[in-house]
Amino acid sequence: MAELKLSHIYKKFGKVVAVGDFNIDVADGEFISFLGPSGCGKTTTLRMIAGFDKPTEGIITIGDREVSNAEKGFFLAPEKRGIGMVFQSYAVWPHMNVVDNVGYPLKIQNVPKEERLKRVMNMLELVHLKEYAERFPNQLSGGQQQRVALARALVAQPGLLLLDEPLSNLDAKLRESMRFEISAIQKELGITVIYVTHDQSEAMTMSDRIVVMSMGKVQQIGKPYDIYTNPANQMVADFIGLVNFIPAIAKGDRIFMQGSENISFPNPKQIAGNAVLAVRPENITISKTGGMVEGVMHHRFYMGDSVDYRIKVKEQFIRVIQKGSDYTAYHNGDKVFLDFENVMSFENEG
Amino acid sequence: MKKSLPRLDSKFIVIAISVLLLLYFIVFPLLILIYDSLFVNGVFDISNYKEVYGKKVNWKALTNTVQLSLIVMVASVIITFPMAWLVGRTNLPGKKIFRTILVASYMIPPYVGAIAWVQLLNPSVGYLNDFIKFIFGLQKAPFDIYTMGGLAWVLTLFYSPFAFITISRAMEKMDPTLEEAARISGSSPLKTLWDVTLPLMMPSIVAGGLLVFIAAASCFGIPAIVGMPGNIEVMTTRIVTFVYMGDAKGIRDATALAVSMMVIANGLLFFMSWLLSHKDYTTISGKSTRPNIVELGKWKWPAFALVAGYAFIAVILPLTSIVVTSFLVSMSKGLALDNFGIDAWIPVITSSQYLESIWRSVGYGIIAACIGTILSLFVAYLSVKTKITGRSLPDLLVVLGGATPSIVIALALIITFSGNYGLNIYSTMWILIVSYLVKYMTMSVRTIAASLSQVHISLEEAALNSGASWIRTCKDIIMPLVAPSIVAGWFLIFMPSFYELTMSNLLYGADTKSIGVLLYELQTYADTQNASVLSVIILLIVLIGNVILNKVTKGKVSI
Ligand SMILES: Nc1ncnc2c1ncn2[C@@H]1O[C@H](COP(=O)(O)OP(=O)(O)OP(=O)(O)O)[C@@H](O)[C@H]1O
Ligand SMILES: [Mg+2]
Repeated sequence: MAELKLSHIYKKFGKVVAVGDFNIDVADGEFISFLGPSGCGKTTTLRMIAGFDKPTEGIITIGDREVSNAEKGFFLAPEKRGIGMVFQSYAVWPHMNVVDNVGYPLKIQNVPKEERLKRVMNMLELVHLKEYAERFPNQLSGGQQQRVALARALVAQPGLLLLDEPLSNLDAKLRESMRFEISAIQKELGITVIYVTHDQSEAMTMSDRIVVMSMGKVQQIGKPYDIYTNPANQMVADFIGLVNFIPAIAKGDRIFMQGSENISFPNPKQIAGNAVLAVRPENITISKTGGMVEGVMHHRFYMGDSVDYRIKVKEQFIRVIQKGSDYTAYHNGDKVFLDFENVMSFENEG
Repeated sequence: MKKSLPRLDSKFIVIAISVLLLLYFIVFPLLILIYDSLFVNGVFDISNYKEVYGKKVNWKALTNTVQLSLIVMVASVIITFPMAWLVGRTNLPGKKIFRTILVASYMIPPYVGAIAWVQLLNPSVGYLNDFIKFIFGLQKAPFDIYTMGGLAWVLTLFYSPFAFITISRAMEKMDPTLEEAARISGSSPLKTLWDVTLPLMMPSIVAGGLLVFIAAASCFGIPAIVGMPGNIEVMTTRIVTFVYMGDAKGIRDATALAVSMMVIANGLLFFMSWLLSHKDYTTISGKSTRPNIVELGKWKWPAFALVAGYAFIAVILPLTSIVVTSFLVSMSKGLALDNFGIDAWIPVITSSQYLESIWRSVGYGIIAACIGTILSLFVAYLSVKTKITGRSLPDLLVVLGGATPSIVIALALIITFSGNYGLNIYSTMWILIVSYLVKYMTMSVRTIAASLSQVHISLEEAALNSGASWIRTCKDIIMPLVAPSIVAGWFLIFMPSFYELTMSNLLYGADTKSIGVLLYELQTYADTQNASVLSVIILLIVLIGNVILNKVTKGKVSI
């Protein structure tokens, strides 16, 4: 199987820096997601690993083999890297049937026909497509084509599998079930996976670690739990999950809410000057009787299992989500008090 | 309800008139041609077929045509497929310029190309022959243009752009991740080309090849200029010879040949459009279609040399030859520095005969383009924007006209419009203009239809709701939105009409000699210098037209 190591990878298109200083060590059998808004450089990074784009700087190592080294001008072609890849557009060849599509990587390796067929059928069984072996792609649904693509990427038993938003063209239900299928297959084969997505729930549920990217830069690499509870910066906090940002000023060991000099929180990061407090909607409790902050109930949205409140505190709206809350307990215009828990703090990035 | 009736009426009237005109000027003559080839005085009689194909010279013309067209088709595909791939899919240096050059050869009138290659490779004084003789110290000219090989050579150079355009368009449309999927599966770039690109492109390759086949088989200018001096006859030159006989029997023999040609050409085109609509794999995928550029590595410069060499031979060399010849003082003195001057230009730009021809052709082109654009607009509107049954019939009729070989159209018009069936416009300018319209309206309809289909129906309905009539809606709403495509459509009729030769050569009268015909005569009378001058003038006008076209459509359409 395969480890993957990227060190100081840069990719520039003319003046545009699509990827800047990407570093990661991926362990054998790990499931890594690249997560970030559109245009942040996820695909570009993946294509550099695959060998479709040449890094402007840096070294990529797969297993114990260096596949790309910009300084030495060394670059291994994609076909020599022994990687499996699933494309967003499936890229299933329309002029070949399912068996030929899936068997193609083995054919390239000159695997004898009988063994090839056996391995293809095993693969089709794994992706639940055995009955469709003789079909052509135009006789398959999008989800089935996606599974053909997955089988084709896995059939040659690569150590590393790359997936670029493989589920984004599928409908919501199918997306969910494919998510678990891919996870299960990964566990079964013990393969290393790099999974590109901009869907955070996909990344959260499937990954061992998530790489959060923005504007070509890695913002944070960590386990889903760490990324959610301990985001490295404002961008990550904002991108993963919901969050309220409250302007604040740091003085010594405390951070004070702007305009309310009597409300303060600890300052573990030793921020100085302008700061931002961040608190997730589910970490706020509302009460009628008393709490840290006073506000006015502005709006309530009934969500079935929870209620989504907007509360006006000074000039700012604070969002609060409470599970199993009584929708009728408050009315718009009521005076309410809020208590914050698990408050995070960041330097003000503007 | 009452309000909507009159506007439906005006729509119907316009449409009915368009359909009638198309039926009368396209379908009717072709039916008459077929009828005349099969019946004599109302009695079924195909002795003309037996007689024509019984003669060795005609049979030979048929086999020559098929043989040449096959060679040209295969050669074109073999040359243009790698070229389209190199230009479209690799890091070939200068690929944008090559693309322009390779497509541009499409706008050079074929007979100008023929004249150029006669200048370059005729066995007695061909520039290129002389040059090679000089370099290698040969006694005899290495090449003779007046042979089947020479004919195939010129036809290939001037009709391969059809294949190039079809193939490179399909290559651009293909989802590049299909190729990337093969690469990541372990396949080298060349193997990927073979296993994935080539099979996926096959329908387009066949289609491009068939276009070349039909164009080569229907061509008159090149075989007339390159083939005739070597006594090589093809179908088109035989038909012209029969028509030149001038008597009823000649015409009847010509109809037999023409109908055979028509059946083959239209049959192949029908097959081709079927192929493209049913077997086209080159689907466009959603996002992430960034073209994957194949790194040529050490092959970069050899490939560059190959493409540059081809572009030089196919376009630069013949054009240079024409321009240089037009500035020679005397043909016999050859390429000497003191032999250059504008002597050959003086008689052309001072002679009223030459100037009149030029202005006449410009005029015919303008008239044809104006009528054709208006008709195209109605036809395109009808087929794209309405739900009337039979809305695409006019479109189909126009396509039929465009698909029919020029020589067949000309013959059909002669038979039909010289008085036997009412209208007599024989040897007037109108028969020329009708022929141009029949042949060239199809491109303009395509262009306008493509842009009309981008105009959403709600814009139109908004105008109709605010009380505008249908004609008014056309004028105020639709026209401004599709204006660029209308200008493009206009040029797409004007330019080929302006330099048309095949049909004009059969249809012109004493006062309607067009520039193409004049040029052809000059060339056959061996006045190669004046022919070159005239060629340069034609090329200049076509170039200006293309520059305008490019500006108006922002590079999306050109001839
Ligand atoms: N060939 C190219 N030439 C110039 N710029 C490019 C090229 N490819 C990508 N870019 C730029 O690099 C940046 C990163 O692009 P990339 O496709 O990696 O984003 P992404 O994170 O995959 O986005 P998405 O979620 O939309 O797929 C973008 O700003 C993009 O415009
Ligand atoms: Mg992407």
